[in-house]
Amino acid sequence: MIKFEQVSKTYAGGQQALRKVDFHIEPGEMAFLTGHSGAGKSTILKLISIMERPTVGRVLINGHDLGTIERKQIAYIRRDIGMIFQSHQLLMDKSVYDNVALPLIIEGYSHKETSKRVHAALEMVGLRDKVKNIPITLSGGEQQRVGIARAIVNKPPLLLADEPTGNLDPKLSMEIIKLFENFNQAGVSVFIATHDLGLIARMKYRTLTLKNGQMITDGLTEDMQDNDFYA
Amino acid sequence: MSILFKGRAQGAQISHVSGPQRFVMFFVSHIRQALGSLGELWRSRISALMTIGVLGLSITLPSTLYVMVKNAENISSGWQQASEISLFLKQNATQSDVNQLLKRIQLWPEIDKIHFIPADDALLEFKQLSGFGDAIAYLDKNPLPNVVLVIPTERHAGPTAARELLEKLRKEREVDIGKLDIEWLERLHALLKVAQELVTVIAILLFLAVVLIIGNTIRLNILNKKDEILVMKLVGATDAFIQRPFLYTGFWYGLLGGLLAWFAVILLLWWMSSSIAAVSELYQKNFNLTGIDGQTLLIMLGLSVFLGLSGSLLSVKRYVSEIEPK
Repeated sequence: MIKFEQVSKTYAGGQQALRKVDFHIEPGEMAFLTGHSGAGKSTILKLISIMERPTVGRVLINGHDLGTIERKQIAYIRRDIGMIFQSHQLLMDKSVYDNVALPLIIEGYSHKETSKRVHAALEMVGLRDKVKNIPITLSGGEQQRVGIARAIVNKPPLLLADEPTGNLDPKLSMEIIKLFENFNQAGVSVFIATHDLGLIARMKYRTLTLKNGQMITDGLTEDMQDNDFYA
Repeated sequence: MSILFKGRAQGAQISHVSGPQRFVMFFVSHIRQALGSLGELWRSRISALMTIGVLGLSITLPSTLYVMVKNAENISSGWQQASEISLFLKQNATQSDVNQLLKRIQLWPEIDKIHFIPADDALLEFKQLSGFGDAIAYLDKNPLPNVVLVIPTERHAGPTAARELLEKLRKEREVDIGKLDIEWLERLHALLKVAQELVTVIAILLFLAVVLIIGNTIRLNILNKKDEILVMKLVGATDAFIQRPFLYTGFWYGLLGGLLAWFAVILLLWWMSSSIAAVSELYQKNFNLTGIDGQTLLIMLGLSVFLGLSGSLLSVKRYVSEIEPK
């Protein structure tokens, strides 16, 4: 589903964010990406959503080289990727309904279909009764779930999450991860960047660990207990 | 159709809508965005009104000048039709020469009517009107020539055609001097032309200013909505989709500004109508002030909408693509 081939990224100014990163996330897989801040997690997510382009190497999604995607096509690529952000990226002056409906309106769904899907998505994240609220009146966890509903409302085959549990307490974080597990069981590939090691430790998922722009481990959570990341 | 995932339908395809329905949906979404932009203007109506005011007044000035010039042209074209040529005949031309001349030129296709004023009649008239009555009696010979007034047909009443006719008449043997009384008219026409060009120049300058003002207003709108644009780009909105509301805003600015200009011109003409009537009364001329007719109004509104759209297009092309999620 997501394949990185010898990817390096150097930002203008010479800061090297990634060094020869190689990995492959299979379709239908759920995996975590972890590492200290500045290790290159965000860069990897930006390369997948084409907010940045690799300096060297190739990034492929479902076998398509993103290097061949023109600027004009980027919008269409992003419709295939449900993205969830730590800062939620909600429209604060629009209702929850309008926020979740945004991807559908952009894609030109009919009014009826939009309404159906928005309600289904909000049902899934447990916010059915907050349809008319403004995001500001919601708690952090609720705002995050609005962001998740927006990411899944057009049923993308791939979900990317950047620190989705960043500001949440462990209980709420676990609820969010449970949501991702539900989507994963429905066949969606899920890739979550987080520095919340405690959260990862409680689950058995493939975890990729970055350090100074290099991939240092790639494997199940259990195997990580004795690697140098925790040392 | 998705680029990355073959077989994953996107948008309207998945909701099983037919072709015609999708066509309708396209317009529905456009109307929705247009009304959305109008609502946006209403929410920030103070600043929107100021922009519309600037736009409207900028269009009012050239429109009013245009109406003035058009009216002046109407009046002068009325005068032009009345141009007549005076032919002063040679003193030595005999009565039969004169009669022959009259017969000949009467048949010319350029000439509508001729009016012969014999020298004796002219002297009589001069005696009565000038008050030199007794002095003239001392003259042993009538110093005035026979005069023929020639009125050209409508087609030959224009300045150049009348001048050609004059040249032709001057070549006649019996004619001493020919005079065409439209020189002042030509000067007026030249002045009107200058005025017209002045209107054009003023209009172009003001229209440019309008484009820049709208462009700047839309630029501020775009920068104000930077966060919203970022979010829309993140969830897969194309530049075209993001641009549309701003283009509609430009459209509304143009349309509302044009309507404002229309009202302003009507108001101005109404205000000035009494003073114009006084002037035309002095000239004893029956004159109706023509305002803005349907066609002119359409051109005015179209132009104003065009200016609004160009202004917003200028900003939208430049700034929307510049805002990219980082």
